[in-house]
Amino acid sequence: MAKTKKELVLKVEDLAISFHTDNGRVKAVRGVNFELFKGEVLCVVGESGSGKSVTAKTIMGILPGNGRIDSGHIYYEGEDLTKVSEEEFHRVRGKKIGMIFQDPLSSLNPIMKVGKQITEAMIINSDNLKKMYQDLISDKLVKYNNEKALRDRTIEQAKDDVVIAKRVLKKELEKVKLLEGLSKQERAQKAAEAKAQVAVIKAESKKTIEAIKVQTKDNIKLFKQELADRKKTAKAEVKVYHRGLKANRDKKLAPLKAELKTAVGAQKESVKSQIKAVNAEYINTLKITRAEAKRRALKVMEEVGIPQPTRRFKQYPFEFSGGMRQRIVIAIALTQDPDVLICDEPTTALDVTIQAQILELIQRLTVERDLTVMFITHDLGVVANMADRVAVMYAGKIVEIGTSHDIFYDPRHPYTWALLSSIPDVDSEERLEAIPGTPPNMIYPPKGDAFALRSKYAMAIDFKEEPPMFKVSDTHYAATWLLDERAPKAVMPKIVSHRIKNSLKKAGEQDA
Amino acid sequence: MPKKEVTFRQDLVDKDIILSVDHLKQFFRTGFGANKFVTKAVHDISFDIKKGEVFGLVGESGCGKTTTGRSIIRLYDITSGSVYFKGHRINGGTRWNEKEIKWKTIKANRKIKDLEKQMKDEISESTSELQEENEAVIAKIRDIYTSKINAIKDELAAIVSKQKAIISQIKYDTKHVDKAVMSKMQMIFQDPSDSLDPRMTVEDIIQEGLVIQGFRNRAENSKKVVEVLEKVGLIADYASRYPHEFSGGQRQRIGIARALVMNPELLICDEPISALDVSIRAQVINLLNDLKDELGLTILFIAHDLSVVKYFCDKIAVMYFGELVEMASSEELFKHPLHPYTKSLLSAIPKPDPLSEKNRKRINYNPVQAHDYSEQKPELNEIRPNHFILANDVEMVKYEAEIKHLDKAVKKD
Repeated sequence: MAKTKKELVLKVEDLAISFHTDNGRVKAVRGVNFELFKGEVLCVVGESGSGKSVTAKTIMGILPGNGRIDSGHIYYEGEDLTKVSEEEFHRVRGKKIGMIFQDPLSSLNPIMKVGKQITEAMIINSDNLKKMYQDLISDKLVKYNNEKALRDRTIEQAKDDVVIAKRVLKKELEKVKLLEGLSKQERAQKAAEAKAQVAVIKAESKKTIEAIKVQTKDNIKLFKQELADRKKTAKAEVKVYHRGLKANRDKKLAPLKAELKTAVGAQKESVKSQIKAVNAEYINTLKITRAEAKRRALKVMEEVGIPQPTRRFKQYPFEFSGGMRQRIVIAIALTQDPDVLICDEPTTALDVTIQAQILELIQRLTVERDLTVMFITHDLGVVANMADRVAVMYAGKIVEIGTSHDIFYDPRHPYTWALLSSIPDVDSEERLEAIPGTPPNMIYPPKGDAFALRSKYAMAIDFKEEPPMFKVSDTHYAATWLLDERAPKAVMPKIVSHRIKNSLKKAGEQDA
Repeated sequence: MPKKEVTFRQDLVDKDIILSVDHLKQFFRTGFGANKFVTKAVHDISFDIKKGEVFGLVGESGCGKTTTGRSIIRLYDITSGSVYFKGHRINGGTRWNEKEIKWKTIKANRKIKDLEKQMKDEISESTSELQEENEAVIAKIRDIYTSKINAIKDELAAIVSKQKAIISQIKYDTKHVDKAVMSKMQMIFQDPSDSLDPRMTVEDIIQEGLVIQGFRNRAENSKKVVEVLEKVGLIADYASRYPHEFSGGQRQRIGIARALVMNPELLICDEPISALDVSIRAQVINLLNDLKDELGLTILFIAHDLSVVKYFCDKIAVMYFGELVEMASSEELFKHPLHPYTKSLLSAIPKPDPLSEKNRKRINYNPVQAHDYSEQKPELNEIRPNHFILANDVEMVKYEAEIKHLDKAVKKD
């Protein structure tokens, strides 16, 4: 589908993420590039462990403690989300980028009423004066925090490297001990070599730490001063604004109060209610009250299709069915009015009929609220239903990306073929072509094309060198050596080509 | 009194029916006293599975399909109805029979009461002044009524004794189920990681059933384990490992191996692929398909994914809130989906085909709007040979017309 005007919302560039485990570093994501345009739905498909959820979590800034961004950038509104500090992320997470998780039961608090969970975020962010103050100081704060985060992160990584090197050394020493046929001297020499290596790494890490400290010192000092100055002016500004509001209220109240003294009977009542209204108006400009939050929550609940919201508002999550729970989770995400919605397998825990309802709901909201959606799933049927564009991920990389028409009717990567041929649809009769084997161990990612081990189209080069992204068309890219000029012509599995032909024919008939 | 034996139905064996579910009801009671609440998980379903058939049971979550599977394999004591496996009754419930006794007794007592009242009225009406004449008339009336009452009492006694015999037979049957017969029915569970004991090695897990059945020769058992592991596409070395060392697909294979080691004739698969990853699903479906042909298995396949069921099963039964709403061969069901719930299920399957997906219209099913059962309750009727549908007479006419319409549409193409 060609969008006339494409506005870039989110851009992920060469993102690589690894997790620290006892067995080694798991390289979950290894260089992912994609762009999200305003108003589109990008589906990310792949089996579990392909790194799709990790990518989404990194965009939200909720990577678990043992995860680390090795390289790459995530640009959102000109800001690099991989560089911002945690405090700064509070401005983005939830408010700009919302997320819906897979299991609605575990993402809701079981001992908290649903209504409270929906209004929670609104009430936390209710103080308008505070918000104004934060907005005023935000750019200076970002600068300061980013500089500090840069320093801290670099130091942490340098230290981390030393820890890992030490661990490797320990193992190495044990290995040396077990080696046979070595004299004492040789052993000592080997051990010394290994130790020397660690010493080098240690020295290097020390150097980097020193360097970054020196490099950032002046900036941090400067930014801190700037921030302090800005805080002062901002405080004054907010105070003035608040005073203005108060004065405005008092000006309105003064004649009414005077009137109240002289008024009698019904008139007195009306004046009283007027005073109340003025006060309420004043409070509402200051903050979101509980009543206001509830009103908004009920509106959102109605929007996501929860019947009898006033009754449901007071219930606990266990009183809801799976589909209704997922609606609550969506409602919570919507209360903050995000621009981007990340859905991490929102329908995997639901059955077909409920799944269809939730997908319809998300589609409707996308149009109504002009949301940009990143939809993660492993069900190709769901992808076909939702996607404008599709990215196929395997072993931490995007192997094929294109419009949904490209991916479903002109797939080029053997992994996409394998995915398409391994699911039965209502019309399929022939034997399914299962993908043999299991996904690779990501502690030792395979050399070359990661899918080569399980692919019958693998060529010699697939085991040696990683394929680049070949361009198929302006919207369609695939990372497979089969698209190289020198490659032999590969034909996609019959089951896939057959299905494509059939559905295109059917569609053609309908058009005619 | 003759010695009791477990009920055996030769007619089922003759007809090649390996599993027959007869008016199965499964209720769960929660709470006591004022809080008592009975969940009717499965409410009166009947179906037969022939030898070598793959029978699919579909429906949304909470419709009772898993409960049905678990009741069949005796993980629950059923509330009412019977389950016959290879002709033997392996599970039975007595609630219906108990209710029958209760209601028949109440009805009979009411009738007797009415008759006694009638008798008194008649006697008081026919009282004349003459004492002697009176007595004769009264005696005559009394005779008539007592004979009537006795007839009712006899009838009731016959019913009660018959039901009591049935009840005691059912109780005897469920108590004396032949373990050797039961071991020919095995189950594969949905979640392969939850259904394997994490503290047992694969070998122990697989041979546990054999040990329970009395095969105590370790060497022989090990040989069987290795055989069955190879059958499901794993290697013999895995026997000494623990479940956590395997991936999801491999764990499901272990679950299948555990079922196969008993040489089953009927396999109950309770959503065996729902918890698996896409690329692994096809592997498991293909494996089950191969095993079915190789070992001549009969499979009861429980799932909510209609595209998989269509691909895998010969016959499909659709369940909705504890009742069977439609049952037919899988081709027939997809050619002539009649019940509104079946249609709604079919319309909800997402296809990996964006062009048709954009045009797909989901059909909503609302039982209150879709049916009018105020005048006549629905029954499971056979509308075409081997195509059953839950409907009343009015609806049957409607469905009949629909089939003709569908056939015409197909012919036009």
